[in-house]
Amino acid sequence: MADVRLRGVERRYEDAVALDGVDVTVADGEFFTLVGPSGCGKTTTLRTIAGLEEPTSGTVHVGGESMAGVPPEDRDVGIVFQNYALFPHMTVAENVAYGLRFRDPPEGKSEDERVRELLELVDMADYGDRMPEELSGGQQQRVALVRALAPGPRLLLLDEPMSALDARLRERLRRQVRTIQSELGVTTVYVTHDQEEALAVSDRVAVMNGGRVEQVGTPQEIYHRPETPFVAEFVGKNNRFEGEVIGREGDDALVEVDGTTFRVRAPEAAGRVAFYVRPEALSLGREGKNRTDGEGENRIAVTVETTEFLGDAARTYGSWNGREIVVKSEDVPAGERVVVAFGPEDATVV
Amino acid sequence: MRRALGSHDVEALAERAAIPALVALAAFLLFLVFYLPVATVFVEAARASALFGEVLTDEFYVGFLAHPGDALARFGGFLLALLTDPLNASFPDYRLGLFGFTAYQALLSAAASVALGVPMAYVLARFEFWGRDTVRSLTALPFVMPSIMVVVGFIAAFGEYGFVSGVFAWVGLNRLELVHTLKLVILAHAFYNAPLVARITAAAWEGIDARAVETARSLGANPYRAFRDVVVPQLLPSVLTGALLTFVFCFLSFAIVLELGGYEFATVEVWVYQSVNNFEYGLAATLAVIETVLSLGLMYAYLRYEAHQRASRAVHPPERAPLFGRPDAKRLAAWGVCLVAALVFVLPVFSMVYESLTVPVAGGDAFTLRNYAFLVDRQATGAAFQVKPLTAVKNSLLFGVGSLLLSVPIGVVLAVVSTREFAGRKVIDTLAMAPFAVSGIVVGLGLLRGLVFGTPVPAPTGIALGRATLPIVGSVPIPELLVTQVRVTVSGALAVVAAHAVGAYPFVTRNVAPMLATLDRSLVESARTLGASRARALVDVELPLVAAGVLAGAAFAFAISIGEFDSTVILTSGAGNYTMPVAIERFIGRRLGPATAMGCVLLVVTGASFVAIERLGGRFRG
Repeated sequence: MADVRLRGVERRYEDAVALDGVDVTVADGEFFTLVGPSGCGKTTTLRTIAGLEEPTSGTVHVGGESMAGVPPEDRDVGIVFQNYALFPHMTVAENVAYGLRFRDPPEGKSEDERVRELLELVDMADYGDRMPEELSGGQQQRVALVRALAPGPRLLLLDEPMSALDARLRERLRRQVRTIQSELGVTTVYVTHDQEEALAVSDRVAVMNGGRVEQVGTPQEIYHRPETPFVAEFVGKNNRFEGEVIGREGDDALVEVDGTTFRVRAPEAAGRVAFYVRPEALSLGREGKNRTDGEGENRIAVTVETTEFLGDAARTYGSWNGREIVVKSEDVPAGERVVVAFGPEDATVV
Repeated sequence: MRRALGSHDVEALAERAAIPALVALAAFLLFLVFYLPVATVFVEAARASALFGEVLTDEFYVGFLAHPGDALARFGGFLLALLTDPLNASFPDYRLGLFGFTAYQALLSAAASVALGVPMAYVLARFEFWGRDTVRSLTALPFVMPSIMVVVGFIAAFGEYGFVSGVFAWVGLNRLELVHTLKLVILAHAFYNAPLVARITAAAWEGIDARAVETARSLGANPYRAFRDVVVPQLLPSVLTGALLTFVFCFLSFAIVLELGGYEFATVEVWVYQSVNNFEYGLAATLAVIETVLSLGLMYAYLRYEAHQRASRAVHPPERAPLFGRPDAKRLAAWGVCLVAALVFVLPVFSMVYESLTVPVAGGDAFTLRNYAFLVDRQATGAAFQVKPLTAVKNSLLFGVGSLLLSVPIGVVLAVVSTREFAGRKVIDTLAMAPFAVSGIVVGLGLLRGLVFGTPVPAPTGIALGRATLPIVGSVPIPELLVTQVRVTVSGALAVVAAHAVGAYPFVTRNVAPMLATLDRSLVESARTLGASRARALVDVELPLVAAGVLAGAAFAFAISIGEFDSTVILTSGAGNYTMPVAIERFIGRRLGPATAMGCVLLVVTGASFVAIERLGGRFRG
């Protein structure tokens, strides 16, 4: 197994910059996710690690060795593409065995043993003689995964491997991928545009934007302590407030937003700032029947515009001074006026 | 994770070098069989550079352009006469010369091909009938149809003792003789090229969105106006593309002009051939160079023009009307087109088969197999100087396999190269396609003068121990490289294979490259990350997936080799390695029967190749 280290990696094309100085370190055995909108450079980063793209400048090290000039076939990595890229002229078993033409199976196993073991791992033992076109999308995805794992690579690279599947299958497969990955302990770099998926499966996440890494951290850190406005807005739902620091009370800053003063936990904030409050951190107080005031010392009055019922929860959308406010709550009828409140510690200033 | 250097790594190194090595080999072969011969012709022409001046000022070659001042003066006189005495003004009699006539007959041929091809496109694009797809496929047949077979077919149909003439005589009319007339040359060119025009135009017609026509109608255009304003402008570029391509092909046409026109209607190509036969190699090379420069220019113009055309498939293609039904104006016109097309295309082929199986007797024709028997008898009893039919068949098959073995690897490697993105790719593409614009006669002439007659090449013959005198030390022994001039010669047979491969490999490339280009690149990338070198990924993944294209290309290569006449006739003149087309040419002047029988053998072989190409989904140019 191996760790991965990218330092100052740039990839320039004639008329565009795909990577603009990427620094990333992936620890041995870690499940590491690159997430960002399309065109952010996450796939280019993955392809650079695999040796399918040469960086214009910067260095890539895998297991402490420089990868400069090392062709993809000598990097000892397994890759799974979005479209699976199974060889259409080979059976499932031949696909899985293909990498064993060039590297011996791990642990002194025979080629047949290795193929059977891997197909069993993904519940595809009976499908060895099928052709790829006879398989469903989910089955193809699983074959592509074990094909990549067959030679026992020190690095597994997954390029949006789930995005062509429907939501239910996606959830089941990503848990399966995660289980297999932890069992084998193979260092894994996962690329996705789906921030929810990134938070769900990763040990650590790198959020990318415009060819740069905005923030690296555990899913909890990324969600609760975004370091840039981009991360705060890209990951999960968020309510954004912008205003002027007009005073301090201990660790709290007093921020005036559109004539209303908010108290937020921000020991160093000054001048013009933006702060974010997550929908689930807002408490909603309804007038009239079982009237409650929202809890927390910052309060605003919001008119409900629409609600979304999500099954295990609901989201209420309203507006305050022309800003959209989203609150996680039970169903509230549209048009109702509610009080939305939060405490100073619920706000994140970036 | 580093392993000790073992045999595995040596193998890997060899594999890594495989693709560049293959590209270098393909480039070298291409240089040897195409660029070197063409260069030989240019050098030969340069050596006889004085001839350029002679040719360019000789009225025989360039017509009135030899005396531009005089020509201009006469045109001025004509204009003057037009003003002063319009009734008696007559256009000056300009002589076209060899080059002018070559262009003139190509122009007429292009016009005839358009006149025949566009109505055919109309029927193909706008009518539905049983076998439409088959007819559509058949429009690609000329690409593999041997020109000499067309010649035999036309002689069998329109010659003095041909089928049509026989019918005329039977009903009491005078016998008809169209051989050695310009009309027949033009008609044969139309036979060859109208399907091409029809193919290109029909594709454009089907690409016109029916909604566009409907929109024009709803805006107030009547059907005629809608056709003129919406359909015609979208068809015109394709018609012009077809016409331009036809013009280039007819400008370089050889066998048809030689056999159906004769020396009275000689084109540049025929005159080059004639000069070679008279051992006037300087003149032949000079004419060939002028011709090649002109045709390369035309081809360049064509490629520039074609690049502007965008191929599109209509979202809502127009509905096709059933061809058979209540007769209305459109349907009657379509039936007329079918009748003319049947006459032009079926008659020559039918006549060839008919003449090969009949013998004239009093009051009609009788069925016979003696023409085929002759082919077998001549093989057994023929003198050494006579053309032996089975030898021709054997040579054709041998050369066919040989050029297949040579052209398929070259074509595949070029396809691989041309689907990669790198600087200078366009140059490689263009150079690789150049054989389309260079006539077989020129390649044949180059091969003959270069490799067959021998090309001097410096070659090391050994190392000798010489002595050199150095200061202080005095005389010391030093090794010296001995170099002599070696004449590299190849046999006529190898030269024929080379010439055929030159004509064939662009078809291999054109069949393989589009299939390679549509392969998902992540397939190769998956193979690479699993440990395969670039060459291994090509062999394990890409080639199996484009196998149909490679096979179609191979069938093309075979068919083109079997039918090739132009360069073969130059390279095999007076030699024993003649092919079926050359044998047919030698029979034509003497006996129509054996020529048609041989033509039928050729028809069967190329027909089988064509079916193979069709089955494999081959792509034809255009």
